[in-house]
Amino acid sequence: MAPGLGVVGVMLPYSPLHHLLLNAFGGALVATSANLSGEPVMTDEASVEQRLGGVAQAFLHHNRPIVRPADDPVYRTIRGRARPLRIGRGNAPLELRLPVELDRPVLAVGGHMKNTLCLAWGTRAVVSPHIGDMGTARSLEVFEQLVADLQSLYGVRAEALICDRHPGYATTRWAQRQRLPCVEVQHHAAHAAALVGEQAGDSAPGDWLVFTWDGVGYGSDGELWGGEAVHGGPGRWRRVASMRRFRLPGGERAGREPWRSAVSLAWELGRHAEARRLVAQLRERADPAGDYDLLYHAWQRGLNMPHTSAVGRLFDAAAALTGVCRTASFEGQGPMWLEALAGQSASPLALPLSLGPDGILRSDWRGLVEAMMETSRSVSERAALFHSTLAGVLVQQALAVRETRRFDYVGLCGGVFQNRRLSEACAAGLQQQGIEVRLCERLPCNDAGLSFGQVIEYAFSG
Amino acid sequence: MQDSHISLAHGNGGRYMRELIEEVFARHLANPGLDTRCDSVPLTLTQGEVMFTTDGFTVQPLEFPGGNIGSLAVHGTTNDLAVAGAEPLYLSLNVFIEEGLEVARLERIVAALAEAARAVGVRVVAGDTKVLRRGEGGGLYLATTGVGVRARGLCLGMEHIRAGDRVVVSGPVGDHGIAVLLAREQFGLRGDLVSDAGSVLPLTRAALECDALRFMRDPTRGGLATVCHELAQQSGLGVRLQQTSVPVRDAVQSVCDMLGYDPLYLACEGRVVAVVGAAQAQQLLACWQLLPEGAQAAIIGSIEEARHPQVVMVTELGGERLLDELEDDPLPRIC
Repeated sequence: MAPGLGVVGVMLPYSPLHHLLLNAFGGALVATSANLSGEPVMTDEASVEQRLGGVAQAFLHHNRPIVRPADDPVYRTIRGRARPLRIGRGNAPLELRLPVELDRPVLAVGGHMKNTLCLAWGTRAVVSPHIGDMGTARSLEVFEQLVADLQSLYGVRAEALICDRHPGYATTRWAQRQRLPCVEVQHHAAHAAALVGEQAGDSAPGDWLVFTWDGVGYGSDGELWGGEAVHGGPGRWRRVASMRRFRLPGGERAGREPWRSAVSLAWELGRHAEARRLVAQLRERADPAGDYDLLYHAWQRGLNMPHTSAVGRLFDAAAALTGVCRTASFEGQGPMWLEALAGQSASPLALPLSLGPDGILRSDWRGLVEAMMETSRSVSERAALFHSTLAGVLVQQALAVRETRRFDYVGLCGGVFQNRRLSEACAAGLQQQGIEVRLCERLPCNDAGLSFGQVIEYAFSG
Repeated sequence: MQDSHISLAHGNGGRYMRELIEEVFARHLANPGLDTRCDSVPLTLTQGEVMFTTDGFTVQPLEFPGGNIGSLAVHGTTNDLAVAGAEPLYLSLNVFIEEGLEVARLERIVAALAEAARAVGVRVVAGDTKVLRRGEGGGLYLATTGVGVRARGLCLGMEHIRAGDRVVVSGPVGDHGIAVLLAREQFGLRGDLVSDAGSVLPLTRAALECDALRFMRDPTRGGLATVCHELAQQSGLGVRLQQTSVPVRDAVQSVCDMLGYDPLYLACEGRVVAVVGAAQAQQLLACWQLLPEGAQAAIIGSIEEARHPQVVMVTELGGERLLDELEDDPLPRIC
């Protein structure tokens, strides 16, 4: 549940305490979990009182100690089916069957945000409950506890580790510190493999085209991918389509500051007045003109301006250019609000698609970004246009790939597809073309699915 | 000297070279210990443990707000002696000049070097000059080697660090890193962004008077965060920093916010990070705050038992962020 959305998340009472509370109160209650943003839930009274004392007036404790923390799972209905956005209490550890037998027991350590682990051996894979964002001391503690717990619960010792290729992920660093062989799997290959793996069960996976649209992930060329389509199957993915690249001013900060992606795209289009306006609207800045000059100079010189092709950042830019969200207070706020505000379906813009010298098809977002600046259209119109155009881009890319490559299914995986409107529009567009579409069902399509995807990639890469 | 720019002839051992050494180096650096005609020089050392260190300087640009490569070559090396508890006494100076460097610029740099040496009380007593072909050097590289003396039996080193000790920093962090970055990338001068480059000797002298001083270091490359990582790795303990306690100038923070840099990872050239017993931290803080160099000193964190040697930053909202060891080039992870 979050402000600015058109939907309300509902939690059903699942413990006797919930029933007692709700009966005594006689109505619906609003609840949050006992953690700081991004951190795992807290499990002991002392730390809860110490660390949440600033936000809670009273504490209701239980006389049964919590041995293993587990967040509640979260589902969203997309394309007529409740799909997990987070796994936790009640459905994790989640066991999945592998299509092929592993050569040895492995532990996949996942990504950095919304992380899970996956322990796998033989043809069994077990995905841990949601851990949280790995940049905190507490997450690392819970992560290590889960590493030990999963192995002792199932009586299996991992003989190799699998991690993301991003050198800065806490999980990658952790894996490299252990005295076990460590295999790296590219982020979007893991996303694609996660979807294929959960769909295939124990049968042969077939040929796939998977759109892996997300925030950012470390690409094989060291750039930040996130608008990629990959063709093939686990262990043999080829990147076949992507987006025109752009720069992320201020690097990691772009994640929580959608205005940065917007400014960069405005500069790409030579729309300096628009860029200046975005910087001038930042709150609590003493010298907006000086800030603008500073950042523009840095943009020209490429200082802390990594290249990206991420659709998640295009969403951010659209949210900032339409004034929906310039600075986010929680992850994904801009895209979520943009989805919530999108009105009646709009006829999509056709964006140019061209084949680069590297053999990769790239869609050019410039016309779409221009449209996001047109104040003659209402915000809800622009938001709708953004969704329908991206769905059109996806279908166009799939059709272009189909001209030269065969595939049985098109998959949609990556955090961007938590967006119901986009996912449903993409699926409908593909279906119209007679293409069979698959979305995640058992695992979240976001980074929580990476650990399982890493195992699948490993299983097929031998 | 007749020429306005350095040529290869200034490095060939002949008359041009003699003129360069006499009229630029010897003139500015003159002191009773310097005799440019000798191949080596005898040193007179006071009682104590002899300390020896060396450092190279390749900063770009050569001149930046708050200093230049010359003053930096003195401060860098003498600061390394100072944080080890020593009094710097002598320096050697190696100079690698790229053909084409303006002589007037070289003079400014050497004059600043000489001025810094006088202020610190260290003598440049040996040196060498080489001229590199155009395109083979960044204008000017310097290398200095320092000799100093410290009291025998000084218990200073990471091995003395204990859980419960406090971490104290002598002033705002990141000034040098931001000032040099802006100068290098030609952002245009901003009066509010000046390098902190300077001697830390007054700070280290004051700290040595305090009880239970365990360790000192100047947070240069990699900044405060990197020093904390070294503390954690070497001691096997955890370092816990309070974000709100770490002094950062508003102007530095503002540039960092805009460009997406973290001041904790930016170089300082005139600061000291000290680890001191918990009960003595206030005493050290008070000593430092009396000095102009330490007016904004602060107790920023503590050493603690931890399952891993790690650095944790307690944020304003009480979150506990892990501070990573510096990567080559930090790439976004969490967009």
